[in-house]
Amino acid sequence: MKTLLTTTFIAIVLVAFSAPVQAKDDDFNSVVKMIEQFYKVKHQGIPFLATAGMKVATTAARIKGGQAKRIAEAGSIKLAVFEDQAFDGDFIKFRGSLNGALNLTWTPLIQTLSATDEEQTYIFLRSAGDKFNVLVITIEPREATVVQVTVSPKNLALLLKDPEGTGKAITQEATILDQE
Amino acid sequence: MNSLFHTNIRQPLMVLLLIASSTLIANAQDSRIQTASLDHLAAKASESVDVNVDERLMKMAAKVFSDQDADERKIKKLVEGLKGIYVRSFEFDASGQYTDADLESIRTQLRGPGWTRMVNVTSKKDGKLEVYLLFHGDMVNGLAVLHSDEKELTIVNIVGPVDLDKLAQLEGQFGVPELGIESQKPKAKNEQ
Repeated sequence: MKTLLTTTFIAIVLVAFSAPVQAKDDDFNSVVKMIEQFYKVKHQGIPFLATAGMKVATTAARIKGGQAKRIAEAGSIKLAVFEDQAFDGDFIKFRGSLNGALNLTWTPLIQTLSATDEEQTYIFLRSAGDKFNVLVITIEPREATVVQVTVSPKNLALLLKDPEGTGKAITQEATILDQE
Repeated sequence: MNSLFHTNIRQPLMVLLLIASSTLIANAQDSRIQTASLDHLAAKASESVDVNVDERLMKMAAKVFSDQDADERKIKKLVEGLKGIYVRSFEFDASGQYTDADLESIRTQLRGPGWTRMVNVTSKKDGKLEVYLLFHGDMVNGLAVLHSDEKELTIVNIVGPVDLDKLAQLEGQFGVPELGIESQKPKAKNEQ
């Protein structure tokens, strides 16, 4: 009895205090790879975007008539784009895999799925010092984007007030340079 | 004495500790409605939305809303003390996509101890709206809204001290949909 109790106690302590180790800083790449493996697709790399946050913001503001509000912190944008490829697959299964991979380090803020339009949008959050990381994944029948940005507390407030609208704005802000 | 502690007291104490901690966890979570039983509906829905503003995010929210801005100050006050906002909604192209058993999986939880149905409105146009509050003594510690229509199903669950007025003010924010809940607070003269 004593051994059983001790073993149970040790097991509970171990479960409570040992979170599996994950490559926290590399979750963006993990998500991109996960999409590639699940849907058998390939992303188009845009390496200069990683340091082009300021330019992106300026461009976005210009296109929107100078009034656009910048959401991402300068230089914080990570972007992977998948264009003109088929995203055929069980999205419920994909959602399960994605949540399973990210749930320990990220909080899933909002997830929208459309079976008829075959569209999926996921927004995850995590704190990063005094700022916050936002990961927005959008998958449509023929294209997908994965965007990770860092936002200030003020812009996190915007995201919490309007998760869907601000999530779209983040993706738009990140991809607008690519459209030029 | 030392050996007496080892043999007679320590083991029951450990068991008691385990029971107490699991009870504490259960109490903290019992106003959270589990909606995993509805996961399968996403495969049929023209749109399904899953919003999770958990305790960690609520704490973040309390920090990020500014005291300087009147609007943000209002929201900050609104979410003060809340431990979570959870929304599941499904929209279907055709009727009959969800069953009574799906609704029952939610209602069963809302028949649990402490839950009271405060609003139960059925209309041909807007479907059925049910609002439940979870009472702990005189305190309200949770709220659940179940809105079911021919082609729509929405569950809003707010964990923490909340009332219908707070719910009405949260509509359209934090992913809470417009439910048409009337604020009980009388409007100020200049707002009318």
